Amino acid sequence: MSGPLLSLRDLSVTYHTSSGPVPAVRGVTLDLARGESLGLAGESGCGKSTLAGAILRLLPEKTVIEGEIVLDGRSVPDLNPGGLRALRWTAGAIVFQGALHALNPVRRVGDQIAEPMLIHETVSSEREARQRTEGLLGRVGLLGARADSYPHQLSGGQRQRVLIAMALACDPLLLIADEPTTALDLMVQAQVLSLLDELQRERDLTLLFITHDLSVLTYACSRLAVMYAGRIVEVGPAWQTFEDGLHPYTRGLAAAFPTIGETSSRMRPSGLGGDPPTPGDLPPGCPFHPRCPLARPECRDAEPELRSSGENRVAACILV
Amino acid sequence: MTSLAMKRRRASATRMWTQFRSSRQGMIGLAILAVFVAMALAAPLLSDMRELNPVFARAQGNPQWAPPSEFAPLGTDYIRRSVWAQFVWGSRVSLFVGLAATVLTVLIGSVVGIVSGFVGGRVDGVLMRVTEWFLVIPFLPLAIVLASVLGRSVWNIIFVIGVTSWPSTARLVRAQVLTVKQRLFVDRARSLGARGWHIVNRHILPNVSGLILANATLAVPISILTETTLAFLGLGDPSSASWGKTLEEAFVNGAMTRNAWWYFLPAGLGILAVVLAFTLVGRTLEEIANPKLAERR
Amino acid sequence: MHPGVSPLVEIEGLHVHFGDARAVDGASLRVMPGEVLALVGESGSGKTTLVRAIQGLQKPTAGTIRMEGKVQSIFHDPAVQMVFQDPTGALNPRQAVYEIVAEGLRIRGDKGDEVDLVKEALARAGLRPPERFFPLFPHEISGGQRQRVVIAGAMVMEPRLLLADEPVASLDASIRGEILALLRGLVDDHGLAILVVTHDLGLAWNIADRVAVMYLGRIVETGPTEEILDDPQHPYTRALLSVVPETREMEPQILKGEIPDLSRIPSGCRFHPRCPLLQSGTLPEDVAQRCLSDDPGPVPLGAASAAACWPAMATETSTPTTSD
Repeated sequence: MSGPLLSLRDLSVTYHTSSGPVPAVRGVTLDLARGESLGLAGESGCGKSTLAGAILRLLPEKTVIEGEIVLDGRSVPDLNPGGLRALRWTAGAIVFQGALHALNPVRRVGDQIAEPMLIHETVSSEREARQRTEGLLGRVGLLGARADSYPHQLSGGQRQRVLIAMALACDPLLLIADEPTTALDLMVQAQVLSLLDELQRERDLTLLFITHDLSVLTYACSRLAVMYAGRIVEVGPAWQTFEDGLHPYTRGLAAAFPTIGETSSRMRPSGLGGDPPTPGDLPPGCPFHPRCPLARPECRDAEPELRSSGENRVAACILV
Repeated sequence: MTSLAMKRRRASATRMWTQFRSSRQGMIGLAILAVFVAMALAAPLLSDMRELNPVFARAQGNPQWAPPSEFAPLGTDYIRRSVWAQFVWGSRVSLFVGLAATVLTVLIGSVVGIVSGFVGGRVDGVLMRVTEWFLVIPFLPLAIVLASVLGRSVWNIIFVIGVTSWPSTARLVRAQVLTVKQRLFVDRARSLGARGWHIVNRHILPNVSGLILANATLAVPISILTETTLAFLGLGDPSSASWGKTLEEAFVNGAMTRNAWWYFLPAGLGILAVVLAFTLVGRTLEEIANPKLAERR
Repeated sequence: MHPGVSPLVEIEGLHVHFGDARAVDGASLRVMPGEVLALVGESGSGKTTLVRAIQGLQKPTAGTIRMEGKVQSIFHDPAVQMVFQDPTGALNPRQAVYEIVAEGLRIRGDKGDEVDLVKEALARAGLRPPERFFPLFPHEISGGQRQRVVIAGAMVMEPRLLLADEPVASLDASIRGEILALLRGLVDDHGLAILVVTHDLGLAWNIADRVAVMYLGRIVETGPTEEILDDPQHPYTRALLSVVPETREMEPQILKGEIPDLSRIPSGCRFHPRCPLLQSGTLPEDVAQRCLSDDPGPVPLGAASAAACWPAMATETSTPTTSD
């Protein structure tokens, strides 16, 4: 089947809280081709996790989703409960941060990995589920015997691998990884990234990698999208976007991850002033302008659209 | 900066009130409470205290066992006393005993809980064993023994309830103290050189007080019910007119068989209403106390 | 760096054992006044325990800690203040900013002008105008501002050493630079020394003068930042550097497995089971043998640059050593 695996068109997600509606995602348009690895970078309040949740409809009841979400030819917001069940785990699966509360603490990890297989009937018996579970654990670098462990008996890195194994249980087409390496040590992070890389190539997985760590995305993804205040502000090839971003926010964010060995950053920590905006309380015009070192008076007037610049690169800034 | 501190205290009280106001159950409870507290305070205006005296009642020419009428709004009892008077004056005793006993319970329980949780070690061990001992002893026999030994007066009843009810408060407070003790800001205070008293006063107490208040409010109905039970069993103060005593006398003198509903229903409903009111208010305070800690992201 | 200046903090042969688990197993390090030392390590390396021992929150099993020449007892020294990893958790949600910053002064019983000192500390930490922040509660300010409040609360005590445990790890990436610049500014302007515990090598590159790498309870390499991050001697440091995503010049050496349990420290060189150098088979037979059987021991106190590694030490003896 040709065409993108995942297609988002003008996606908006609004939460309904006791203090009124909060627009977490405001008009995101994005395509993910089959077999591609796309990185989505942004900080707290930018809407990236909301976006991830919206794709598989994992958001709370009262959330309003507008726009199109098409995954493997199916329109996600229109699916009935049966269709949604069929979609989850098999078309798209999500890997969360491997904190202790991502796994059920009173069930063995093997049972948790086998669960989606049994629910979606991708295996014909419990024995087959067990075999597949052990196979998956081996594939993610853990001993098959680990299936009998409880989450608290595993280290952070091991739990993360279990979550990856669980996400792969039903051979999904799309893997959404939401901050999978945050809170992991450097070496463990490298191990997990390397694993995701191998799995992606092995199974021709489409990967949507969400994180605030821009540098990690350059390692794991071919294309990079940057989110700010609920919108995409830049898209481009991963390494290029990191090294030489078009949008001032991208540049500011990238500067927070200094290249070791480069004299320009030695003893010169670089960052942006102010704070990331809160979703319900955005500045007028371009939401980044209060913090932007290149802000001009026109920036207050209207929010810029994504403009093209060079090959496959777009940025939402009037300076582009 | 005391003016800053006062301003903040006022602001925090206003915040709490706004939150409380938005809870329907809390406001209903508060309304009921207000009615009964007003009644208790205005007792002299609502009823003549002499009506509680059987000699006076006889002299008045009250009939016995009279159902409600214009001159006796809740009728009379077996010795011609006005039931309305007993209801109004009884509310005073029930509320007062309930509140005073709770103050004692919460005081003992909080001190034990805080010391036990904060100091830890052997002190904690000893205090917890004492607490468990009190928890294990069946309450009613203990209360009866103490009441009979100490004599039947309002103050003794308060003492008995206080001394037997503190263990659950102590356990609750201790658990909360243990949680707060682990928090990073306590580490920070220690690293600034703070010692025991400062940490307890400035960090532990403020983060435990909400829970204590909620727990106290929920303990009042228990105290009231306990007083009622003791009075019903004949251990109450013979000279006071509590609702429990009214129920006891009604029961003992056959009000049930006579179907003299006006005698036992008011006191029974009164207890029910007050207990319900405190429970509603206490639950609301609990809800306020907990999300507060979570809200402060 | 000023030659002839005596060290601010000296930790010698520190051991902190919890039963069989040897969280700190013979670590020595030294912090000079006016310098930023980055203590780099992963979880399980013992770095947090080490810092807690310096802070006085953890009693060492053996070894000495000297503050300005005097042996430090378990009781807290106000010249050492902390900056925490979680600024939200480090602030009492029921205390206003003013009280949080003034707390240390009140504990010490300072009779000076509290308001002025608090104002100055907040301003120095970048919160201006300071009065605006006095009545605010932690939940009313942002994460970065909370960390500044923590820093202000520490600076108001006029410390000579700041212990910063992952000071920017829980903050948004775009604001990290400002907080790091603030910390470096405090060093440059006030002659403060900072011991930063982190696993982020980029942070070390940004603000640290020296780096000490910790593995399984010991310092395995130490030296000036440029040296360590440009030409690491210890295979562990090399591996760590190679997997930093921004480092493109090095081939990533992803180590297998995780840091071993602290109660089962490998024999010989404690890194040998995961050592890529040993596994490459390029080491001469006798050196490889030493890695398996002999413990290179911890990096000694006062070494300007050293690595606890047999192959590294073998090559070092053939070149003249530099000392500070």
